[in-house]
Amino acid sequence: MIGILIVFIGAVLVLFLGLNKPEGGMKTLSSLVLFLAGVLSLLESLSILNFEMLSNWAPKNMIDFSKGDLMFVSLLAFVTAAIIAIFPTVEEKGSDRLGLMMLSLTGAFMMIGADHLVMLFLGIEVLSIPLYVLAGSDKHNLRSNEAAIKYFLMGAFSTAIFLLGCAFIYGGSGSLSLSEISLRMSIVGHLSEFPALIKVGVILMSTGLLFKVSAFPFHFWAPDVYEGSPNKVTTFMAVIVKIAGFVAFANYLQAFEALATWYSKWLIILAVCTIIFGNIAAISQKTVKRTLAYSSIAHAGYLLLFLITPMKANMWILFAYSVAYALSTVVLFYFNDKYSTKKEYGFGMFSGLLKNNQSATILMVISLFSIAGIPVTVGFTAKYYLFTSAFEVSPLAVGIALLGSAISIMYYFKAFKPMFESVETNTNETHASKIHFVVYLMVAASVIFGMFPYLFERCF
Amino acid sequence: MEIIILPLILSLLAAFTGSKINKTVWGLLSFVSLFAMVYMKQHYGIHNDGVWHNTFDVPWFSNGIHFTLGIDGLTGLMILLTNLLVPIIILSIQTDKQKSLIPLILFMQAALNGVFMAKDGLMFYIFWELALIPIYFICLLYSSKDAFKTTIKFFIYTFVGSLAMLASLIYLYLKTENHSFAYEELLSVQLNYTESIWVGAGFLFAFAVKIPIFPFHSWQANTYTNAPAQGSMLLSGIMLKMGLYGLLRWFMPMAGESIAFFQPIVIILAVIGIIYGAVIAIKQNDLKRLIAFSSLSHVGLIAAGFMTLSAVGIQGGVLQMFVHGINVVALFYIVEIIESHAGSRELSQLGGLAKFNRLFAALYLIVVLGTAAVPLTNGFPGELLLLKSVFDYNTITGVFAGLTIILCAVYMLRMYQFSMLGEGKASLNEIGLLKMIPLLILVALVIFIGVCPQVIIDQISPSIQKIMLEISNSKGVLS
Repeated sequence: MIGILIVFIGAVLVLFLGLNKPEGGMKTLSSLVLFLAGVLSLLESLSILNFEMLSNWAPKNMIDFSKGDLMFVSLLAFVTAAIIAIFPTVEEKGSDRLGLMMLSLTGAFMMIGADHLVMLFLGIEVLSIPLYVLAGSDKHNLRSNEAAIKYFLMGAFSTAIFLLGCAFIYGGSGSLSLSEISLRMSIVGHLSEFPALIKVGVILMSTGLLFKVSAFPFHFWAPDVYEGSPNKVTTFMAVIVKIAGFVAFANYLQAFEALATWYSKWLIILAVCTIIFGNIAAISQKTVKRTLAYSSIAHAGYLLLFLITPMKANMWILFAYSVAYALSTVVLFYFNDKYSTKKEYGFGMFSGLLKNNQSATILMVISLFSIAGIPVTVGFTAKYYLFTSAFEVSPLAVGIALLGSAISIMYYFKAFKPMFESVETNTNETHASKIHFVVYLMVAASVIFGMFPYLFERCF
Repeated sequence: MEIIILPLILSLLAAFTGSKINKTVWGLLSFVSLFAMVYMKQHYGIHNDGVWHNTFDVPWFSNGIHFTLGIDGLTGLMILLTNLLVPIIILSIQTDKQKSLIPLILFMQAALNGVFMAKDGLMFYIFWELALIPIYFICLLYSSKDAFKTTIKFFIYTFVGSLAMLASLIYLYLKTENHSFAYEELLSVQLNYTESIWVGAGFLFAFAVKIPIFPFHSWQANTYTNAPAQGSMLLSGIMLKMGLYGLLRWFMPMAGESIAFFQPIVIILAVIGIIYGAVIAIKQNDLKRLIAFSSLSHVGLIAAGFMTLSAVGIQGGVLQMFVHGINVVALFYIVEIIESHAGSRELSQLGGLAKFNRLFAALYLIVVLGTAAVPLTNGFPGELLLLKSVFDYNTITGVFAGLTIILCAVYMLRMYQFSMLGEGKASLNEIGLLKMIPLLILVALVIFIGVCPQVIIDQISPSIQKIMLEISNSKGVLS
């Protein structure tokens, strides 16, 4: 509870204090606020600090953060702090961008903690509306405008479907509270005895969430929106929205556990299609940003496999995967932002990187290894846990996921060709410039978590 | 554990000092791991019981995954090969320009030692992948041409293979009683026929790509040719042995139920590979390509020998693994010397080099004879045992496999003749004595093993008997 309050108050503060100020002015404040929220949530989750008073003040049947949820809250707070800290600020942009980002994060927290369908819906809206604005915040860029309108139309449409699903569920079960629904479902017991309304509701709600996490067949907005939005916003969308979406997805599906055999066979098909589509489409992309967009679709496919496993005991696997995905995606988007120019935004931007900046090369290589799932990085650990737990449910789907990760090598390693190329030209100034220290920390974390994987289980 | 930590520390040191320290110093320093290994062998003692002794064991991932290392006769021989060859490979570096080569090779040494010692399924997989990374960068950074295309093909090929192996390992893991990756636990899993074929196919695919067995060899020739000499040495000298080792240690005992199904397929493919590799080697002009195809031919015979499941075949195969490592590294070393001192490695550009350096010519000849399996050289005993086992299995395959002796003599002697004898088209610069020392060591081993192969066979036979017992146990489940 403390995390959501700090971030919300911080967002309001940043919005008002930063009135008429350039973006750079509020950068330190907002990343510090987010960092504080992350630390406090982490401590609360580890039961070192106790904020029971605050939790009691909130209606328990609406929003309730379990220990696991708090881990996600602190992860998202840290990652947003890192995104705000490492991406360069633009002078002519106002500081409202940071405020909106924090506001959107509040929505993500609401989604994670929601125990009531209305709260979940509110969370999705609070997450999305600032993002529609942020996607179009580069307002002189035509592509940014396109991204905003696309994202807005798709998003509005999907939340409407989600809301319709809630209505059906209410009609079928007589309640909107997830724990209440779960209780009633467990009493009824047999699959055939559930009213069809519930199944329709689950389908519609899942459709809404699949839109948010950009899974097949509702993925098509993602590459365009990711490409058009400013880099900072794209990173935020790719990481925060996806992780929050999956946590919410897992939390609400748990309430319908009695239907697990029914929905998991559909989820397997969707997961397999997402993995195949995301990976194959990524191969032929020319720009780094679009490649990363398709890679994030592929990762949504792997994460869908998580939803078919027994989720309650396995939430730490979702956490491990989120950490892995967040660390490497943020670092890769950072390098894409740093080295892309108006003329060159394909893989050629890394041309001769080894010669100009060795530490950047090492950081990028480790991040690429991590996102591709090669051992001794956190990416491998997370994939190993995820695939092992899903293997028991569907070996075939895991086989395809393994094949998908083999295909992903093809596009992740595309960056190596220009990186290790020997170039004749003199030192490239953008390449030689310094790298933010937080990037070093993130890459170090992805190696440390890879070497000591039991940290995840211990924390949870 | 020592021989994994030591090369890693050296690798980090080498990475940070850059090229300030001479490469010869690093070559000599890397002998430390060899001593550590010999000490370890003494300390844990390879008793004649053939048991795979734990040397290190701590819990690692969640329950059931331990960081376990072990040593027995087979592992001992493989790590001896690794730690013996790596210093020689480092000493073979000719220029100081290749700055990150030494750290990468040392890193690779650590990973390879891990592969051979891992007693836990997931650890085996992790080290298997780790060994792929440095060699990938060695090939990518220092390849002569078309680096990205050949290396990515190599990487994806082997990566797909290892993922198939991971799937098999996870399947076995989920079948164990209390979810464990420990070697003994995985062995005790009983599979039905269909399951064992799927699990076996996963393992076999990974190993067949690595060995490589025909028709999974298509990455090999280009990668060997384009890679720097050190990369080719690592690949053919040690990395191929990972595949063969996996075949013997992991595939055959774990999926023993399926061996009856895979045995004829693998033997026939291996025999095709033997002849195919040899025939293509005869036509080659590029020395490195020639050795690449000869290597395909030789390891095919080893794989066929393993799959006959006879004690003779497995003993001969393990011996030949060691011998082939030495011979092929010596050959690549010779090619490296010829290329840097005569300016070319095309047979059509060479000839008449023998008169410039008699010692070099003599050493070269011994290595060639060793590869062609002439009696009293190291190639002979292993090849004899292997051919006997294949012959016992089936006369026709035996006859075809036997052709390797003739064909191998053809391409090896042709290679020697066109490069060293006849009319001189090229000249050989002065070769420093320091450069000859590694070659002298290798040649000494060629003759030593040729004269008394029993020294090695005594080391390995208890653990081979143990493995054969495990295979027959696991086969027995079916009948």
